[in-house]
Amino acid sequence: MKIPSQRDLRAALLWAIVMLAAVGLSSNVLLRTVLVAPMVFFVSGHAMLRAIGIKTSSLSEHLAYAVGASLVIGISGGFILNAAGLLTPLGWASWFCAITVAAALVAGRRSDAPDLPPWPGSVPVRVWQGTAMAAALLLASGAYALAVHDEATYRQFNYTAFWILPPASGGPARMTVGVRSAETNTQRLDLEINLDGQPFAVFRSLTLAPGETWSREIQIPISATSQRADARLYRPDDNRLYRSVSTLVPRR
Amino acid sequence: MMPARLTAATGPNPLQGAVQLVSAIIGPDLRGSSSDDPTRPVNCDWIAALCLTAAVALLLVVAGHAAGRRAYDVTPLLFWPGVILLVVPISLRIGWPRVARGERLFLLFLFAELLLYYKTVYAPTSFVGHDEFLHWVAADDLLTARRLFLSNSLLPIGPTYPALEILTTAIVNLTGLSVFVAGTLLLVILKGTFVVGLFLFYEAITGSPRMSAVACLAYMGCMTFVVFDSMFSYESLGVVLCMLTFAVEAASRDFDPRARLRALGLIALLLASLAVTHHVTAAFAAFYFAMLAAFEALRRQGSSLIGTTLAIIFIATLAVALPVLWVMARGNPLSGYLGPAVESGLNALMRKFSGGVTHRPEVNALSQPLGMRLTTAVAVLLLSLGLATGFFRSLALAASSGAPSGWRPIEDILKRRWRDSRIVFLTILAFGFPVSVILRLTQSAWEIANRMATFVFISVGLVVAVSIVHFWQGRDARGWRRAGPAVALSIIVMGGITSSSLDPIRGRYKVGADQQSIEAMGIETARWTNEWLAAGNRFTADRVNRLLLASYGRQDVRVRIVAGVDTALLFEGETLDPDILRVLARSDIDFLLVDLRLSMAPPVLGFYFEPWQPRHGKALSGSDLLKFNDIKGVARIYDNGWIVIYDVRGLHENS
Repeated sequence: MKIPSQRDLRAALLWAIVMLAAVGLSSNVLLRTVLVAPMVFFVSGHAMLRAIGIKTSSLSEHLAYAVGASLVIGISGGFILNAAGLLTPLGWASWFCAITVAAALVAGRRSDAPDLPPWPGSVPVRVWQGTAMAAALLLASGAYALAVHDEATYRQFNYTAFWILPPASGGPARMTVGVRSAETNTQRLDLEINLDGQPFAVFRSLTLAPGETWSREIQIPISATSQRADARLYRPDDNRLYRSVSTLVPRR
Repeated sequence: MMPARLTAATGPNPLQGAVQLVSAIIGPDLRGSSSDDPTRPVNCDWIAALCLTAAVALLLVVAGHAAGRRAYDVTPLLFWPGVILLVVPISLRIGWPRVARGERLFLLFLFAELLLYYKTVYAPTSFVGHDEFLHWVAADDLLTARRLFLSNSLLPIGPTYPALEILTTAIVNLTGLSVFVAGTLLLVILKGTFVVGLFLFYEAITGSPRMSAVACLAYMGCMTFVVFDSMFSYESLGVVLCMLTFAVEAASRDFDPRARLRALGLIALLLASLAVTHHVTAAFAAFYFAMLAAFEALRRQGSSLIGTTLAIIFIATLAVALPVLWVMARGNPLSGYLGPAVESGLNALMRKFSGGVTHRPEVNALSQPLGMRLTTAVAVLLLSLGLATGFFRSLALAASSGAPSGWRPIEDILKRRWRDSRIVFLTILAFGFPVSVILRLTQSAWEIANRMATFVFISVGLVVAVSIVHFWQGRDARGWRRAGPAVALSIIVMGGITSSSLDPIRGRYKVGADQQSIEAMGIETARWTNEWLAAGNRFTADRVNRLLLASYGRQDVRVRIVAGVDTALLFEGETLDPDILRVLARSDIDFLLVDLRLSMAPPVLGFYFEPWQPRHGKALSGSDLLKFNDIKGVARIYDNGWIVIYDVRGLHENS
């Protein structure tokens, strides 16, 4: 069985235009992916093969060459769009659409284009076979979902991050101090800040649940010489120094 | 000469018998039936059963990774049965005689995708391979700046070969997917296309779907197939373009001039794309076509084949000229990138053989569990056996005489009479296999062996397939002749898995082990830098944290403090050398990230910072790493108990 010679080209034209419209008008990732993936990996290359008039003897050969031609179109598009300053979603959509439309038009005008390869004969699939394949697909998808869940939830290191940041250059005279808990239990912490060795600020009994972040911007006096701010984090439960950070406050 | 009568009278000559035996084993006799029954239907029972088996296998692999993260004893009992269940049944079916072409091709495609799943599920939500980070950073830069050829301090050669990033960012731009999902989607397509292209190439030159399928399976025993060539890295795209070029060229050899000219157009486009995709693959394609042209020129042939020769010479010219022109246009960054790697590899090998003192403790297969090492060794032995029994048979396949037995075909080859230069060249190229095995003996030369293997295995696959079909299975494979070679192919593919990485099971954090050093705390610290310090600060750190800072943190990471001064000099040593401190003060580095976990153990790969630096047999000390605490002008702005960030901008004011 051979495919009628023009139907595939009309389908490619239509696909290209719908893809361009979807990229231009929709922000739905799923819709765009469904339309874009075949265009980027197959449709544009298929139209190009038809335009050049490449002879293929089997469907697998045609599919492989079409993917290859699509990759070529994508790569060359990168250089051309870069030169034009159009490496944007619409730039890319226009490129694939333009190439597909042009190739389909050229292929449609060819009188000596080779026929498309024959489709392989249909393979009868019995109920149990179809069920087994569907179950396999579900199982593999489920296994992947399990892997994603495990990756997202498992952590080997539990920690409390503590930081102090100097005022941004040219910004207000405020330094930032922060604590983030990546522990398994809620933490209670005391925080002390010294400026050039003198007590400057104290925060008692900060309570942080796992995953929680506490931060403050603290107004500081800017002097003619640079100062050193030290921040210390204590655990009241065992009254020991837990973390210590410092920063240099730039001079006026 | 001894008369035959006398020989018969005195019994068989043992030497002659041995020669006949060896000749029968390694000789060029082609006694197999290479073709499948064309009317044999696709067996959906097998396909359904194999799909189900593979899905169960993948579930076991995932469970193995989960157990490995928690260091459970049951880990290998989950993971390895999963791998065996994944590889063995499907390999047996593909390598079995009398299977329909469509079924073999579908199962090969499925198997390639399953192996990609196996690789991806190691880290199912992000890239973790060292090279993957380099391309991920480049893709992110391209998305942000919307310009090509941006510098990449982690991969200076990268901007010259931006094809992978172009395609990935095209998908990201068009769909709105993340770089990881877009890159993985691209890899799925590439892996499937590669194996179909490989099958079509073998089929075009051997004329046998069965031999092609067996050759593809043997190719999967390559140490780069499962992981290295499935990474989000430019060679994964390069090998696909390369293989498609070979397949189109081989398929078009018998076309009429008009059809061949059109095929040349596609080949030229594929070669041009390859030239901007990956240097080593483009160089191999140039080598392949140049050698093919040379073999065609050598071949004694009639005038009717001159058109074919001219076509190959034209392709060879393109294959050589396009990468050279591209490299020249980009200012020849290649020699500085590849030259030192090749030089150090060969030097390490020479030292190994001359018995000289090696200054670098080598990381080798001894770090792997015994079972993995044994599987790799058995696979190498089986491949060697296949090459030994397939070499002359493969040459005989190319001979023009068509004699099924005796040494006549080899005489034809020696008289430069063969029907297909591709088979002759690929058969000779199989000598690259022992070379690549020898190169694996040292860490530095291992890099060369790794790159070589991708290409050498194209010929290894062919020769091993000829060996299996024409010697081990023979014309009417029954009993052990049917099962033995299929089992051997399964072991070869298993060898490809066991040799593809040091430890394929996701485990607990390890020091200086690239992907085994990537875990949540390092990633969150890198993200913290982006959130609280903003992107683009100049950072330096150890090799793994540099990757995390550049990718998750979007920081501008530096491999050297200034040109010629490695960052290792900052972190190693009890005290900071005043000269190094001066260099740091005059540099433009803003922050240092110190990972105290480096003091927990010596680095698995032998180095903390870069491969060219001195190797470490022992761990750094924590006090060495914390020496910045007491340096004037340096502020310790971040501490999470394991990772400390120092702000060194105060040094620049003092300098």
